[in-house]
Amino acid sequence: MELVFRNKVFVLTKTSKMKQPIICLFLLTSLGLSAQDKKSKVSVSGNMGVTYEGYGLNQNPTGWTGYSQRKPWNQVRFTFQPTITTPKFSLPFNFNFNTTPTNFIGPYAGIGKQSFGQYITNPSNNFAVNPKYKWAELQLGTQYLNYSNLSTGDVGVFGAGFDLRPDVWRLKFFTGVSQQGVNFFSGGANGSYKRKNWMAQLGMEKEDSYALLFNFAKGKDDKNSIPLPPPGSVLPQEGFTMSVVGKVNIKGGWYLSTEGAQSIYTKDLFLPTSVTAVTIKPFLDGNTSTVKDFAAEGMVGRKSKNFDIGVKVKYIGAGFQTVGYPFMQPDRMDYLLNTRFNAFKNKTNVTASIGQRVNNFSNTALKAKQFIGNLNWFSQINDNWSVNINYNNFGFQSNSGINPFGIKNVSNDFGIAPTYTWSNTKMVHLLSLSYNYSKYDERDVITGLTTSNNTHTALLTYVPSFLTKDLTPDFSVMYFINKLPGFKTTLATLSTGLALPAMKKKLQLRGQLQYTFSKNNTFTANNNFITSCTIDAKLNKKTTWTNFLSTNYFKHGNELGLPFIGANYLESNFRTGLMYRFGK
Amino acid sequence: MKKIFYILSILFFAQNSVAQVNTTLVLSPNPPASLMQWGVSRETLTFIVFPSAQGIRGEYKIKTEIKLSDGSVIGKTDLNKSKTYTLSSATTTFNAADVVPLESMIFTGKHKTSLEKTGKLLSDNYEICVQLVRPPDFAPFSEIKCKNFYLAATQLPILMKPYNQEELDYDIAKTTIIFRWTPVVPKPKALVTYKIMVFEVLQNQNPVQAVRSNFPILTQEVRGVTQYIWQPRGVVDLSDNNAKDSAMQQRKGLDGTVKGGSKKYVWIIQSFDNLGQPLGDGNINADGVSEPTVFFVRQKVKDIKIKDTDKQ
Repeated sequence: MELVFRNKVFVLTKTSKMKQPIICLFLLTSLGLSAQDKKSKVSVSGNMGVTYEGYGLNQNPTGWTGYSQRKPWNQVRFTFQPTITTPKFSLPFNFNFNTTPTNFIGPYAGIGKQSFGQYITNPSNNFAVNPKYKWAELQLGTQYLNYSNLSTGDVGVFGAGFDLRPDVWRLKFFTGVSQQGVNFFSGGANGSYKRKNWMAQLGMEKEDSYALLFNFAKGKDDKNSIPLPPPGSVLPQEGFTMSVVGKVNIKGGWYLSTEGAQSIYTKDLFLPTSVTAVTIKPFLDGNTSTVKDFAAEGMVGRKSKNFDIGVKVKYIGAGFQTVGYPFMQPDRMDYLLNTRFNAFKNKTNVTASIGQRVNNFSNTALKAKQFIGNLNWFSQINDNWSVNINYNNFGFQSNSGINPFGIKNVSNDFGIAPTYTWSNTKMVHLLSLSYNYSKYDERDVITGLTTSNNTHTALLTYVPSFLTKDLTPDFSVMYFINKLPGFKTTLATLSTGLALPAMKKKLQLRGQLQYTFSKNNTFTANNNFITSCTIDAKLNKKTTWTNFLSTNYFKHGNELGLPFIGANYLESNFRTGLMYRFGK
Repeated sequence: MKKIFYILSILFFAQNSVAQVNTTLVLSPNPPASLMQWGVSRETLTFIVFPSAQGIRGEYKIKTEIKLSDGSVIGKTDLNKSKTYTLSSATTTFNAADVVPLESMIFTGKHKTSLEKTGKLLSDNYEICVQLVRPPDFAPFSEIKCKNFYLAATQLPILMKPYNQEELDYDIAKTTIIFRWTPVVPKPKALVTYKIMVFEVLQNQNPVQAVRSNFPILTQEVRGVTQYIWQPRGVVDLSDNNAKDSAMQQRKGLDGTVKGGSKKYVWIIQSFDNLGQPLGDGNINADGVSEPTVFFVRQKVKDIKIKDTDKQ
C-alpha cells in the first residue's frame, strides 16, 4: 500500500499492516498530513480547528442587574476530527474540547478548577478514537452509545469497548466512567459520586430487514469516591437495565418494531440491605431503596413514497429508571398515530399526528391526560402561489386531588402562510405572509375560573434574488400581540439582511439589522437594536477563517420604575476561528 | 376495702405499663411519596421520646403502623427484626429512618407491590401510628401517637411547546418564542417556581450532552404560571457560522428539497418548591429537571426560495 505525502511515497508492506494505524496517526499529527494523491489508497477527510468566543455585557445605570449573562466571558474550543481511511480500515478521531467549564445542570454543575479525570469526563469535552477494521470497531474514549430507546443512549461514558458486526451477528460491549467524584462546594459544585458504567448488546440484525437484540446497561456509584457525602438529595445509586428489541420489515413497506425492558434501581446505596429487597444476581444486590419495574414500546406502520402511516405506543412504569436515560420521565403511557401523504402530483404534502399521553398512569386518583394533535398542510397551488397551514393542539387534564378543581390547560395554535413568487430574467421575488393565532387556556384549581392567553403574530417577508448578481438581501416586518387579563404585550420588529461575496468570492459577508419596539400595558416603549456581521475568509483551498460579531442594545421604557427608568444594556458577542479541512 | 385495693392496684399497673413514657410525633402533612425519601428529608418525621418522670429504665422498640383512612393496616413494623433501644435519662429524637425502618417493615397487598416497583405508596390518605413497646412481649410502653397524612407522587412538568422536534420559523423565533409546559401534579399549595433554560446544541453534541455542558442562552424563573414568552434578542441567530455547520443544516424536507440553515436547541424546565428545593419525588437526578425537549429554528422562507430557484 502506498501512502503519498507531499510528493513523498511511503510504502506500507503487508508485514507492517498491524502498524498502519500507528503510522497514520504519526504522520497525521506530527507532519500535518494535508492531501493525498488520486492513486493513493489512503485518504484523509474531516476537519480540525480552533475557535475563540468572547462575550461582553454592560448594564446601566450602575447597580442595575436586571439582565443576566448569556454566554461565558471567554471560551476557546478545539476541534480535531480527521478520519483516515483505507479500503479495509478507518480511523476516525473525534476530539472536541474547550478551556472553560460551563456546566449548569448535572454532576459537574458549578465546577471550578477541574482535575484531569474530571476534565476528561466532563460532558463539555469529547476525546474519542474509533479504529475500524472491516466489521470490527474498537471504541476508545468518550462515547455516546445508543443501544436502544429503553436501555441506554443519553449518557457519555469515557472508557473502552468494541462493536463487532460479523455478517448478521452483533456483539457490543463498552465500559468506563460516566462521571467523576466531585466534592460539594458551597456556592459551587453540587457534588457527585464517581459512576462506573458498562453496557453490552448481543443479537442479530440485518439492516432494513430484521433485528433481535438483547441489551444490558449498568451503572454504579462509588460510595467512597468523595470524602464527605454531599448534602441534599445527591445519593449514591446503582441501576441495571435489560431489554430485548425486535424489528422486522416486510414487503409492501410494512414495519414492526418493539422493545421490552426491565429495570432494577437502587436509589441510595447507603441504606441497609433486607432479605425482602429486590435483587438480580449477579448484576445487582438490592437494599431497602431498590425498585423494579418495566417499560415497553411498540411501533407498527407502513412507509411508501407518497403515503406513510404508523402507530406508536410507549409505556414507562412508575418505577422504571435507567442510568442510560437519566431524564426519562416514568409512569406514563403514550399512544400516537402518525401519517404523511403527498397528493395532486406531489404538490400537496400533509403530515398529521394525533394521540394521547397519560401521566401518573399508575395512579388512578391523580391520572393526568394530555391530548396531542398536529397537522401541517403544504400546497403548491401553481407556479406562483403556495400555502402552508398548520394546527397544533395540546390539552392537559388531571383530577383534582386535594384541590377543589383539577388542572386543565389547553393550548391551540393555528397558522397560515401564503407565499407568492414571481420572476423575470434578472430577478426572482418572493413575498410571504404568515399569520399565527395561539390560545392558551388555564383553569385555576381553587376557583375553577379559566384564564385565556391569546397571541397573534403576523409576519411579512420579502426576499429578492438577483440572477445576475451575487447579492442576497431579505426584509421582514413582524407584529406580535399577547393579551391576558390585565396584561398586554405588543411587539413590532423590522429586520433586514444582506449576504454578498467579495474579493473574487474569497470573502463571504453577511450582515443583519433588527429593530424591535415593544410595549407592556401603558408603560412607555422599550427599544431594541441588534446588529450582526459574519465574515468568512477563504485563506487557501482548505483553510477558512470565520468571524462573527453581534451587538444587542436594549433600553427599557418606564416599566421598571424609579430609579431604573431608561435602564439599558449592551451585549456583545465576538467569535473568530480557523478551520482546516482534510482531504480534497 | 379489698375492691378499692384491687382498683388502685390496677390503676397503678396501668399507669406504669401503658403510659409510663411520654412521646410526641411530628409529621409533615404532605410528605414525599417515596418512603426512602422520608429518611433523606429529616424534617419529614420526628418522633421524640421524653425521659420518664418516674425514673423508669428499660429497653423498648418502636412499633409503627400505617393505616388507610378506613383503619385497615397496610404496613407495620416487624417487631422481631426491629432495633431495640434503651430508655435514656435524656430526651431522644428519632426520624423516619428509625420510625419507618424499611428493612423491618412489612407491607401488604397492592401497597407492597407498589413499594417494590416504585419505592412509593399509592396516592391516598393515610394515618401513621407510633407507640413504644417493651420486649420481649411487646407490651405497650407509651401511648399511641397518630398523625394523618396525604401522599401523592409528584409528576414533573411535561414540555408542550415547542414540542419535541418542532421546527420554528427563524423570522418569528428571532423575536419571540412561546414556551408552554404542564404544571407540577398535584399542584402544591405554595406557588411552584419554574426555571426555563434553553441550550444551543453545538456541532457534534447530543441534546443531553448540551444540557449538561453548555452555558444556557436563557435562564428565566417564573412563579405559578406555565407559559413564558421569550424575546431572544440576538442570541438565536442563523447568520453565524454555527448555523452553516449545524448538525441539522442539510435535511430533506417533505417534498425532497434540501432545506437551508437551521440550528438545534434543547429546552428544559426545572421545578422548585417555595423553599427553593427541587421538586420531583425521588427522580433519578433529584434536581427537578423535566425530560429535555429539542426544537429547531429554521429559515423557512429561504427553503421555499431554494426550491423555486431550482425550478428556473
